[in-house]
Amino acid sequence: MYDFAYLKPASLSDAANQLASPDSKLLAGGMSLIPSLKLRLNRYATLVDLGALADLKGIRREGDALVIGAMTPHAEVAASDEVLTVLPALASLAEGIGDPLVRNRGTLGGSIANADPAADYPAAVVGLGASVITNRRTITADDFFKGVFETALQPDEIITAVRFPIPKRAAYAKYRQPASRFALVGVFAVQSANGVRVAVTGAAPSVFRLAAAEAALIKRFAVAALDGITLDTEGLNSDIHASAEYRAHAVVEMTKRAVAAALK
Amino acid sequence: MSLTTSSNRIGQPVRRKEDLRLITGQGRYSDDVNLPHQVRAIMLRSPHAHARIRSIDTRKALTMPGVLAVLTATEMLADGLQPMPHKPQSNSPAEPQLINRDGFVEFDAPHYPLAVGKARYAGEAIAVVIAQTIDQAKDAAEQVEIDYEVLPVVTATAAAAQCDAPRLWDGPSNVTLDADVGDKAATEAAFARAAHIAKFETWIQRVTGVPMEPRAAVCEYDAATRRYTLHAGSGGAVRLKQDLALMLDVPEQYVRVLMNDVGGNFGTRGMIYPEFALVAWAARRVGRPVKWLCDRSEAFLSDYQARDLAVTAELALDKDGNFLAMRGSNISNQGSHPTNYGPLKKGVEIMSSLYRVPAAHFRARAVVSNTMITRPYRSAGRPEVMYVMERLIDIAAREFGFDRVELRRLNLLKSAELPYTNPFGMLYDSGDYPAAMESVLKRSDWSNFPARRAEAKTRGKLRGIGVANYVDTATGVPRERAEITVNSNGTVDVVLGIVSNGQGHETSFAQLVHEWLGVPLDSVRLITGDTDIVKVGGGTHSGRGMRMGSVVIWNSANEIITKGKRIAARLMECDPSVIRFEQGRFLAAGSDRSASLFEVAAATTQLIDLPEDLHGPLTAFSDEIFNEASFPYGCHVCEVEIDPTLGTLEIIKYSAVDDVGRAVNPMIIHGQVHGGIVQGVGQALMEQCYYDPASGQPLTGSFMDYAMPRADNFPFFDTEISEVPCTTHPLGMRPAGEGGTTPALGVVINAVVDALSEYGVKHIEMPATPERIWQAIRSAQK
Repeated sequence: MYDFAYLKPASLSDAANQLASPDSKLLAGGMSLIPSLKLRLNRYATLVDLGALADLKGIRREGDALVIGAMTPHAEVAASDEVLTVLPALASLAEGIGDPLVRNRGTLGGSIANADPAADYPAAVVGLGASVITNRRTITADDFFKGVFETALQPDEIITAVRFPIPKRAAYAKYRQPASRFALVGVFAVQSANGVRVAVTGAAPSVFRLAAAEAALIKRFAVAALDGITLDTEGLNSDIHASAEYRAHAVVEMTKRAVAAALK
Repeated sequence: MSLTTSSNRIGQPVRRKEDLRLITGQGRYSDDVNLPHQVRAIMLRSPHAHARIRSIDTRKALTMPGVLAVLTATEMLADGLQPMPHKPQSNSPAEPQLINRDGFVEFDAPHYPLAVGKARYAGEAIAVVIAQTIDQAKDAAEQVEIDYEVLPVVTATAAAAQCDAPRLWDGPSNVTLDADVGDKAATEAAFARAAHIAKFETWIQRVTGVPMEPRAAVCEYDAATRRYTLHAGSGGAVRLKQDLALMLDVPEQYVRVLMNDVGGNFGTRGMIYPEFALVAWAARRVGRPVKWLCDRSEAFLSDYQARDLAVTAELALDKDGNFLAMRGSNISNQGSHPTNYGPLKKGVEIMSSLYRVPAAHFRARAVVSNTMITRPYRSAGRPEVMYVMERLIDIAAREFGFDRVELRRLNLLKSAELPYTNPFGMLYDSGDYPAAMESVLKRSDWSNFPARRAEAKTRGKLRGIGVANYVDTATGVPRERAEITVNSNGTVDVVLGIVSNGQGHETSFAQLVHEWLGVPLDSVRLITGDTDIVKVGGGTHSGRGMRMGSVVIWNSANEIITKGKRIAARLMECDPSVIRFEQGRFLAAGSDRSASLFEVAAATTQLIDLPEDLHGPLTAFSDEIFNEASFPYGCHVCEVEIDPTLGTLEIIKYSAVDDVGRAVNPMIIHGQVHGGIVQGVGQALMEQCYYDPASGQPLTGSFMDYAMPRADNFPFFDTEISEVPCTTHPLGMRPAGEGGTTPALGVVINAVVDALSEYGVKHIEMPATPERIWQAIRSAQK
């Protein structure tokens, strides 16, 4: 690990100010950042730890939405009565991230800010059409994820919470890569008053919506509606764990499983 | 204590004495050793798989904070550090030699601990940086400027053998060994009259051992005594000492090796590593103890890797299914340097497994490639060839209309045919091979499989079942020594040249001493990891630990009893001939006088009139050479269920019968079998060291990409121990450590292919990933 300055600001504005200096990086749970530092894959002059900002933690109901603080660890989401009652798909997604250590340290905000192509939370954020709330603005899910480890966040912008609209039904189906157990393909399927959304993680450089499936499911939210749907391999990931061809097939199959689970 | 009611005797499932210590953090592994004033070493490794090193500039690095030295091949050669003392052709008298074909040109390929002139795999150490802290050493390493000329690479086994492949060494090709085994003329004649010929071409992919404890080493050099003391884990301390002395070019007594707990070996730790010699050399140069710790990413680069065998094989049968002959070619990928032909040889000499195969001929080749070095790994060479033979039988059964179990029954050697010399010259001593197969077929409920398949079908699942027999040749370093000392304080020291790498030696070897000397299990102290005490011993590999350890402990125990009777006779004032030894006591016939073993041990220093050879302490040793191989065998059955939509697979049941001749601790043996199965199934379904063929870059550099099997990939195993006494072992024992792995590759792939039989799928290469299974189904449907 290279040397860095460590700051733990007491307020959001302090954190933003410190983040404005060059080569600084936010530290949330550190479940991706710390290993990358230990391996010397990344180097920062300053780490700005959000751990002291209690306001960024917690889960609350706001009308027809759940608002989850950016610093809320996965384990808290997984065990929350509120989430289990109104958005069980999100609780089960959180329960399936990493191992107990990761779930107790890793955070919602950290996960989506990192935008790992195989992370689970981006599928929920896009699938549910959530809003990412920052210290400056609100960004819609469809505008948030831009590419591999790339988001719409400005250098000194800090996610404070994510607002998840409560859907009619939803489910997350995850096909784990055998080594890392990250999502080789993860599909979050949602039916809500506003329609149907299907978000896919793991299969491409960034989370994406499966338009063909959404169109079919809007007509009829049923597994059979997905018959005949295929996905072009163009732009899909291909690596030692799965070819683009297999991923394309797995996306459709996992969509079926997500829809089936949502209907249960 | 009464031995007759003891639950710690040979054959009892005694709980492991060492486990409480190990699972409560009391273990003492290599990285737990820290020496005063130690400094840290890090290895600067080649980023290229094949590159000429034009120049190395260490000047800037040497000015970095905390840096004590930056050492390269220039300093290494100037100081006379010797190449790794690999013995690729090390021969056991029980095995045929691999002799090169006429006209084959050998060439030198010395394996120096730092690359000299050229890097031949990505990760080969180029320089050692010594600094006060690891971070300082890493910072300095980034400042070492190396000018590389990148060269073309070859990584794939069969490709490396081609004459137009990029060359690693100044030789006529990358082929380092080209030998024939068996009888070519008889084989060709048998093939000429065959009714059926089954053919199989495959690659047993490269995997790595992944011990839970990463390697570490710390060495101090004492200038006053000119002595090196190395703390590093291995399968055996003595061999490590000998090899280190050779590399440092000093007499053996100038090197001491120490190790305590060792967290996994599997062969991966079977040989000295470059880093061990480098820290020793560096310690002398900088005058401070030098420590190196391998992190997991570095382990994936620099741990010896395994398997990697390209095979083409054919099996000839007559019209009734009798095996007539087999032939083919095996090519072993040695990695960058040829270091060990053991897996190649140990495989090719038992290609015919437990079956009656009158004639056979194979070509055995070894090649170098731009990959990490491969070496023996759990059951070296045998899982590969058992997989080939068991696939050939299934292929023959399917293609020529035989029942696969009947075909095995017909050709399996019967007890009456043993001892049997296989067509490569290996002599199988004893066993009941058909009984093992019949037993596991019953355990697995083989006959009712069709009903289970039909039931799975109703759920849209494909069930498959496979069976595989195996034989495992155990040889290894032939010499072993034990020394037993009975102490008057009620303890018994056993000095042995075999280090536990997690196998539970503190328990199983103590059971032997308990049985034979009647002392409590907890009185036995095993001393294995200090070469100032342990002078002889071959270490833990090739099923030799208990096989050889038991004999030298037995001999020593008997000698203790013989000596003890003479001492007891003095104590009890009677003739030694009337004394018998029972349950830890010497009893004089016709009287009520007796003395415990420990009282007798105390007497050796108290009685002043003892003959010289009985002067204390009460000790005895046995030093033996074991020239015969041992042949554990058994049969496994695996049942799988495949979801055809994604090709995902679940192991429903796995049954095993493994013959160990005589079980010392059945619980430990079951554990060995469980772990062995997991390592075999890992290869069959998940694991592979991937190299990018164009650049030679390893693509599986961490647990994010190298797929390790985990507990939830498996059902509970159904394992049974068979005990048909081994006729070449005085106590009837056969090794138990490798049998779990040996048939696992073949039995799993046989089950997978069986599950896909309705699609006409003939074979799936390893690892049989969901994608491969899905592709096979899809191709069949087209």
